[in-house]
Amino acid sequence: MEPVVLGFDEVRQDDADKVGKKCANLGELTVAGFRVPPGYAVSLTGYERFMNETGVRRRIEEYLAGFSADPGNTADMARYEEASVAIRGMVEQTPVPADIAAAIRRRYEALCAAAGEADISVATRSAGPASHPGQYESYLHISGADEVVAGVRRVWSSTFNQRSLIARARQGLDVAFDPIGVAVLQMVDAKAAGVMFTANPSDGDTDKIYIEANWGLGESVVGGEVTPDSFLVAKAGPEILERTIAEKRTWFTLDPATGRPTYQEVPADKKSAPTLTDDEVKEIARVGVLIEGHFGGAQDIEWAVAARAALPESIMFLQTRPAKNLVEKKSAVDRALDFMMREF
Amino acid sequence: MSAVYGMTQFEFDEENDLKNYDVWFCDVAHGSPPWKPMFVLHDWLWPGYRAIQRAYEYLSVPTSTGWDIRLKDGYVYVSVMLTSDEEAKKRAVVFREKIRPYIEDAAGMWDKRKLELMEAYEDLKKTYGLTTYESISDLSNIQMLELFDDFLQVVSLQWNVHMDYFVPVNYLYGSFENMCQDLLGIDHGHVLFSRVMSGFDSKSLETNREIWVLGARAIELGLEGAFSDIEDPEILLDELEKSEGGQTWLGEYRAFLDVYGWRCERMLEWATPTWLEKPALGIPSIKMAVATKGVSSIDERRDSAERDREAAEQELLAQVPADQKEWFATLMKAAQVAPYFSEDHNFYCDLYIGALGRWITREIGRRFTEAGALDDPEDVYFLVDTDIHKAMIPMGRVRLQKRVEERKKEWQGYLGIQPEMLLGNPAAMAQVVRKDPVLSPAFAIPKVREELKADLYGGGSAPGVVEGVARVIMTEAQLGELQPGEILVAPGTSSQWTPAFEIVKGIVTDGGGALSHACIVAREYGIPAVTGAQEATRKIKTGDTVRVDGDLGVVFINR
Repeated sequence: MEPVVLGFDEVRQDDADKVGKKCANLGELTVAGFRVPPGYAVSLTGYERFMNETGVRRRIEEYLAGFSADPGNTADMARYEEASVAIRGMVEQTPVPADIAAAIRRRYEALCAAAGEADISVATRSAGPASHPGQYESYLHISGADEVVAGVRRVWSSTFNQRSLIARARQGLDVAFDPIGVAVLQMVDAKAAGVMFTANPSDGDTDKIYIEANWGLGESVVGGEVTPDSFLVAKAGPEILERTIAEKRTWFTLDPATGRPTYQEVPADKKSAPTLTDDEVKEIARVGVLIEGHFGGAQDIEWAVAARAALPESIMFLQTRPAKNLVEKKSAVDRALDFMMREF
Repeated sequence: MSAVYGMTQFEFDEENDLKNYDVWFCDVAHGSPPWKPMFVLHDWLWPGYRAIQRAYEYLSVPTSTGWDIRLKDGYVYVSVMLTSDEEAKKRAVVFREKIRPYIEDAAGMWDKRKLELMEAYEDLKKTYGLTTYESISDLSNIQMLELFDDFLQVVSLQWNVHMDYFVPVNYLYGSFENMCQDLLGIDHGHVLFSRVMSGFDSKSLETNREIWVLGARAIELGLEGAFSDIEDPEILLDELEKSEGGQTWLGEYRAFLDVYGWRCERMLEWATPTWLEKPALGIPSIKMAVATKGVSSIDERRDSAERDREAAEQELLAQVPADQKEWFATLMKAAQVAPYFSEDHNFYCDLYIGALGRWITREIGRRFTEAGALDDPEDVYFLVDTDIHKAMIPMGRVRLQKRVEERKKEWQGYLGIQPEMLLGNPAAMAQVVRKDPVLSPAFAIPKVREELKADLYGGGSAPGVVEGVARVIMTEAQLGELQPGEILVAPGTSSQWTPAFEIVKGIVTDGGGALSHACIVAREYGIPAVTGAQEATRKIKTGDTVRVDGDLGVVFINR
């Protein structure tokens, strides 16, 4: 029987079809010695077994047999939303098979033990086998073993969110079944977080690193909700070439009242303050170069700075994937030619 | 309409040529004093300008399809064939890809190509078994005829190579000039620009170094006295034969001439002797070297010139916005090939072909004179190829004296003329130059700023200000008249004049732009210069005190 859970140290980047790309890359990062939050992977097998053994897959298929809508027609989007609610309800009310739940719990308890803390906060993040960024969902600040199991199941159920149903329907894929992995990661108590491209996204210059940062969790930067601080860094050095400190109005962080993370207003004294010190920028860039070197090709990396650790241990890496849609760097000769041709 | 020397191909058509072209300008930088018929037809006109057309077409230069030429009053006039805006846009697409390799490595490509050219020269000599300079007299008349025709093919090849580099290299220089103007408000007269464009070696400066080495050797061999006391070069050479030290020196001088002696007294003419033919021609330069104790001022400047240039490059780049620095530097490096190429190609192109031309045509002249077809070997320069084809075989049947007399009279008439600098609409000149970036480095228009109240305005310059006594020199033969510390005033200068730069303190010329020999070498020597002043040799008299302001590009004359 294929394992349902695997430690990050047990997977490599080629294991995307077993545990999903995100988990595979986290495994690769872990084994290569980069600082990744403690955690583990729930494999595609976990999803498959849950869906098949509990019969929920069959129930979904029955539901869908009675469902008709046109995925290409925006007027039908509401119908897909209806279906999504129904199907997700089915999934989230189906108990996870005992041994799968036990495996998820066991690993979570090991994390707690390692942290020296009961009921640590984790995130359950979707990990599709092929890159489907933004298609599925992740859930943050989950604590307690039962909640973690439920959190994994919610990630599984997110394969039935409205946009995923529509996407699969459009592409003629199996709407009722879309195996993904789940990454269970200890939450970083993030002072600041964000993304890093190991090239300049505006001109494809591979001698540069571009970092965006905001206070709190990286979701605000990844989701494009906020105008973040940005730093252009020369890989050689590294040397900070440009700092653009933005007016940061909101951040994604735990609401103490509800215990859930939400977008909140940034305190006045932090709005215009730099989210990162120069040393932090340089360290993030320095490791970015190493990550790029390990994976080969420009990378799109999510990072966070742990509030209660000191540099460099404070810098954590949450994801890496090949950077997409980077502008092809124009050679200096081409730009010189552009200038010369401008007259015509 | 009168066809100069009967050459209808280049006849200036008063009616149509001014309709079809806004303005023609006179090439005094190269063609003053007026060339004799043989050189102007067989070296300069069609082979030269055909090669320009060819380069412009191959590169698909957007704004121009090349240059057109006319002969008027014995002088060459040039105009630019401009394209329409639409044509320019279409041509720009192809041009972009054709000019690319030149941006990347024009110098590297030229360095290879020039050696191929040298091989072509050697092949020509080999084909005719010409292992020594003298062996040309061993050829039969039919072989001479074939050699002459084959040589004209080599002239054509030389021009192709010449223009294959001249056009793109100058274009990039012109573009860089425009870029400095547009981006930084700096034009080619600016000190910073000058410094960025100097500190380069070339074959021209190498020749100079070798002359100075010979000067130092003369001193070493105890010949300093002979060089300073004996005025006449021919007598000096005879005197050197008499001593052992002198003979040693002469051996080294001959070895020098074998490599560097393939040059006529006047760079662009066959009607003047080569240094190989007349070793005495090199003596005035060597005398200058001896007088300066064999220490060439340009050698002293070599290291600092390079460092100065690098510092100037940094200073210039510092003014460029961060995200533009890399491609600005790329275009700058490409533009810097221009001063190097400008000086380097003289040796491989103009001087060598000139010397080969002299060698071959002089021998033809000698034979015609022996056979009574000419009265003087130098009269051969009033002939053209059809005359040679007619009179060579059998030698002596045809007498060419009448032909020579007609053309000589015509030529002497031109010697007395002051040519008009521009024909057509002078106001159009600025636009033409702006549209063709290849043009301005070669031919400059003076920038007249009335408020400066200067006596002369130049189109090109090398920075610095100096005051001194002027000496007006019209030909290379007069170079020996120059005294150290004088201000040289001339129609133009060529590589031949480089030794003079060691001793003068300022330079003014009638013709020539920012990439003219005068400008480039003046920069290398750190001497103020104003070039393209058009009327310098007319307005300034030997003995006048002049102030040469290379920073502003103007000259003031005090009498």
